[in-house]
Amino acid sequence: MRPRRFRFDPSIFGLRLTALYAIYREHWRYYRAPELMAGAGIAVGVSLVFGVLVANSSILGSTREAIHAVDGSASLELVARSPHGFGQGLSQRVSELPGVAVAAPVLRESAVIEGPKGRLLGQLIGVSARFVGLESSATKDLGAGAQLLSGGVGLPSGVASAIGAHTERQAKLLANGVAHTVQVRAVLDAGAIGSLAASRIFVTLLQNAQTLAGEPGRVTQVLIRPYPGKGKQVEGELRRLAAGQLDVEPADHELELAQTALKPTNQSTSLFAAISLMVGFLLALNAMLLTVPERRRQLAEMREQGYDSRQVVVVLASQALALGIAASIVGIFIGDVLARTIFDEVPSYLATTFPITGHQQIHLTAVLVAFSCGVLAALLASMSPIMDLRESRPIDAVLHEPGEPGQSIGDDVTRNSALLGLAILAIATAMALLNSGLTIPSGVALALAAPCFMPILFRAATRVLGRIARHYHGGMIAITTIELEATATRSVALACITALAIYGSVAVGGARTDLIRGIDKGVSQEWGTAAIWVTPDQNIRDTDSFHVQGVAAAIARAPGVASVSAHQGALLDAGTQRLWIRAAPPGSASMILSSELLQGDLAHARALMRQSGWATVSSGFASEHDLRIGGPFTLPTPSGPARFDVAAITTNIGWPPGTITLNTNDYSHYWQSTDPTTLAVDLKPGTTPTAGARAIRQALGSKSALRVQTSHERMAEVKAIGRQGLSVIGDISKLLLLISALALAVALSTAIYQRRGRLASLKAQGFDRLQLWRGVLLESAVVLGIGCLDGAILGLYGHALADRYLRVNTGFAASFSLGAAQIILTLLIVGGASLAVVAIPGYSAAGVAPELSFQE
Amino acid sequence: MSTLELREVVKRYEGGGETVNAVDRVSLSIGPGEFVALYGPSGSGKTTLLMMAATIMRPDSGSILFDGRELGCLTTRESARFRRETVGIVFQSFHLMQGASALDNAALKLFALNMRLNEARETARPWLERLGLGHRLEHKPSELSMGERQRVAIARALANKPRMLLADEPTGNLDSKRSREVLGLLGEICAERDIPTMLVTHDPQATAFVSQVYTLRDGTLTEGLDLDLHTTVSG
Repeated sequence: MRPRRFRFDPSIFGLRLTALYAIYREHWRYYRAPELMAGAGIAVGVSLVFGVLVANSSILGSTREAIHAVDGSASLELVARSPHGFGQGLSQRVSELPGVAVAAPVLRESAVIEGPKGRLLGQLIGVSARFVGLESSATKDLGAGAQLLSGGVGLPSGVASAIGAHTERQAKLLANGVAHTVQVRAVLDAGAIGSLAASRIFVTLLQNAQTLAGEPGRVTQVLIRPYPGKGKQVEGELRRLAAGQLDVEPADHELELAQTALKPTNQSTSLFAAISLMVGFLLALNAMLLTVPERRRQLAEMREQGYDSRQVVVVLASQALALGIAASIVGIFIGDVLARTIFDEVPSYLATTFPITGHQQIHLTAVLVAFSCGVLAALLASMSPIMDLRESRPIDAVLHEPGEPGQSIGDDVTRNSALLGLAILAIATAMALLNSGLTIPSGVALALAAPCFMPILFRAATRVLGRIARHYHGGMIAITTIELEATATRSVALACITALAIYGSVAVGGARTDLIRGIDKGVSQEWGTAAIWVTPDQNIRDTDSFHVQGVAAAIARAPGVASVSAHQGALLDAGTQRLWIRAAPPGSASMILSSELLQGDLAHARALMRQSGWATVSSGFASEHDLRIGGPFTLPTPSGPARFDVAAITTNIGWPPGTITLNTNDYSHYWQSTDPTTLAVDLKPGTTPTAGARAIRQALGSKSALRVQTSHERMAEVKAIGRQGLSVIGDISKLLLLISALALAVALSTAIYQRRGRLASLKAQGFDRLQLWRGVLLESAVVLGIGCLDGAILGLYGHALADRYLRVNTGFAASFSLGAAQIILTLLIVGGASLAVVAIPGYSAAGVAPELSFQE
Repeated sequence: MSTLELREVVKRYEGGGETVNAVDRVSLSIGPGEFVALYGPSGSGKTTLLMMAATIMRPDSGSILFDGRELGCLTTRESARFRRETVGIVFQSFHLMQGASALDNAALKLFALNMRLNEARETARPWLERLGLGHRLEHKPSELSMGERQRVAIARALANKPRMLLADEPTGNLDSKRSREVLGLLGEICAERDIPTMLVTHDPQATAFVSQVYTLRDGTLTEGLDLDLHTTVSG
């Protein structure tokens, strides 16, 4: 007698787990291709979801990590409003305050580090031994390493690797318009400074930093750790010391500033990510729909044998779960690769403004959301055969439907889905018009609407084809019409995949193109106001000032130079916003540009800006502070609060948190500095920009760290950097296109493979290979065509909504333009490439032996 | 000892603006061990009658009783259970799962009866062996001949030890030799298990294997084989 073995084999509504496994395994054996295709679709959708979620969350997450790595136990900070900081003596007074346990002075200065392999823009940070008292993970070894840093700099391993720097070798450091040769004393890896190893922070001792930055005896920040229970007291004392000219904030206040700075970028990325999420989800859903006809037939046969509806649901759900779970796991791994490769770039202007490490952070939430999307897509798509379980529907009805069993789409489904599509369209429009903040769900809803119109478009297309067939002498159009109608569900599913691919690409790609065009237009206008621009290297945001004695005069004496004017600028923290303050000489053409103006009269605003006390503000800032033209507002300047009146409201000029423009007289007065950030040079008639630039470089001398660029060169550089901020969006757009074309090609090939039986029947009737091949291509073209039409029309609408959202909510200049060329290119890539790929398996399938039609 | 009884059963179809009585007040009784053939041309309503007996369809009026139990008013779940536990059905086009082996196809119904996988296979195996497929247990339907596929379908119908057997044109895709084998087998099982067995066929040769023949013409049932219809069907 065999011993009884315990086996875990639970049953659900009378079906054992082992039986469910056997049923699915057997289904797999015969329907491997469509199941793999469905799994691939799910994996692709999940990878897109996961990659985008990680991309969106990593920047802020890594900023949080970096800030905490530096601040350690500090809970308060005293921060300068001016890039020139404040006297170090004040830091000593802070440390002497009762209640202060540790007061660590810091100097921060934008700088460029250059090595044998290249150069990088980052932040030079000077610290003292007091920093050790904050016990931060980034400086825990500073005590021992202070000697190492003496007379040199420490570089994070990421920076060192990028520029080819090594310990005890020299590098060039450019700061304050001056080039310095420095010794690389240490290359700091994650073991020494944690996540900061991936940042762009160059660390040195405070005194050294003051020398390199040209700010002797100055600091920009003091980090403070009060004694327990003394926080409020210390804060009050700090405000007294600040005297309205410095900011007293929580030590991690920069995180709040980063959140605000990233918010519009995240909003626009979120918009595109949401569209991509929905496209990915629906791609997976439609891939599963390709397996529905076979499932419906199988389940009808099971019900004939006595499986009840609960058991049918269990069979469906178990198969969907198995496929969904496996495919979602694969999708998350692929998404992780995407996040580390395509989505890992941090825009330079953000990396230098905030301590971003670029360290990819994967949160459990992202994993769960992406995983759930894949499993949900599999479940939803698999459940459509449940409609056959309705009481009003005979058990074997699907076996007697016209065409292939399980393929037909009823009149009610066609009508109801079209009505649903119209309803979704109406709701999406209403949402976007009533509240621009709802544009993200509107864009997502449009993606949902795309498949809803497909059954009715498909029916219209087959009717048109039928009419053509009546007048055209040639059997293949008629055959194509019959075949399309016989495989309606599959054809519609394929067309839906096409529509989603096109929708995502057109909506995301179109809005991105408009955004870039808007930014480029502004850049061209701004940097076209002078022939030559002189500025510190990689002075992207025009906030790095320099103090080089007599440089303006030297340039003015150079041959061919007509005039030199100084522009100024700085970043200013006001509440939760890190504003960009830019200043141009009164009467300068670059003060306000037509491409930037959103509200106000250009000529009148320019006239006002010549006077003191007037400023332009970006729309986001105006909206947040409820400002109108002519209305007052106050800025917390280094000299104390300063009142200005609004001359005009502009776009964000490429800085989402907010941009304020003053004239240089006001700037110099309130920021107590005449140091320029950029010199604009006009040339005498007959002097070419190249010749002028050459002459200016000679005037500056070979040791100058200032860059001399023609307006054309400056425009190109600023445009390139500006586009970095859109790199994630661009990557999403490209990824969508690539994945969609791939998914479509695979789906079409699989569908052709599934058609072999029917092709064999036609072969048996006397059709030859070429005729069948033409028919297959014509069918694919029809399916692709209706999908492209649906996707392109809705994609254009999504594109328009996205543009409106960008203008209203983020302050970016994005005017809608049809972009017909881009749409055509998208259609050619997705549709044309898919058709080209299909030609090969189509030809192979058309060679099927007619005997196949005699097998069941 | 089971009996299938049909009393004044009517089934109508509507299409093209008119109503057709596919089954028109048919009364019929099949007792234990009785092998009955329903003969008639395509469209005569015989498959419809079989589907109603199998509770796959409901009659529009009349009664269908099995062991005195009214089948026409069963809920969907009850009718599924009835088919699962009580009925064996053989279809003309076999309705086998393409990716499953002969053994798993035969065991398919048993999976729904809460049987473990191996237990279901062991229960189905003797039927396949009896039907001469002991050496083809792991073969897929595409690897079996038409006759072998039909025998797998028969094994599936018998694996749950049904108390009624229904066969819809089981020899429709077979040659005459295989047809005789299958019909002989059905008769043997009917007698052996003493269960009512209904055979739907348009082949008059099949009537030689049954104990009673009824002819269904335009939905109306008459006793005996209508040879005029045979001429119509084969001519």
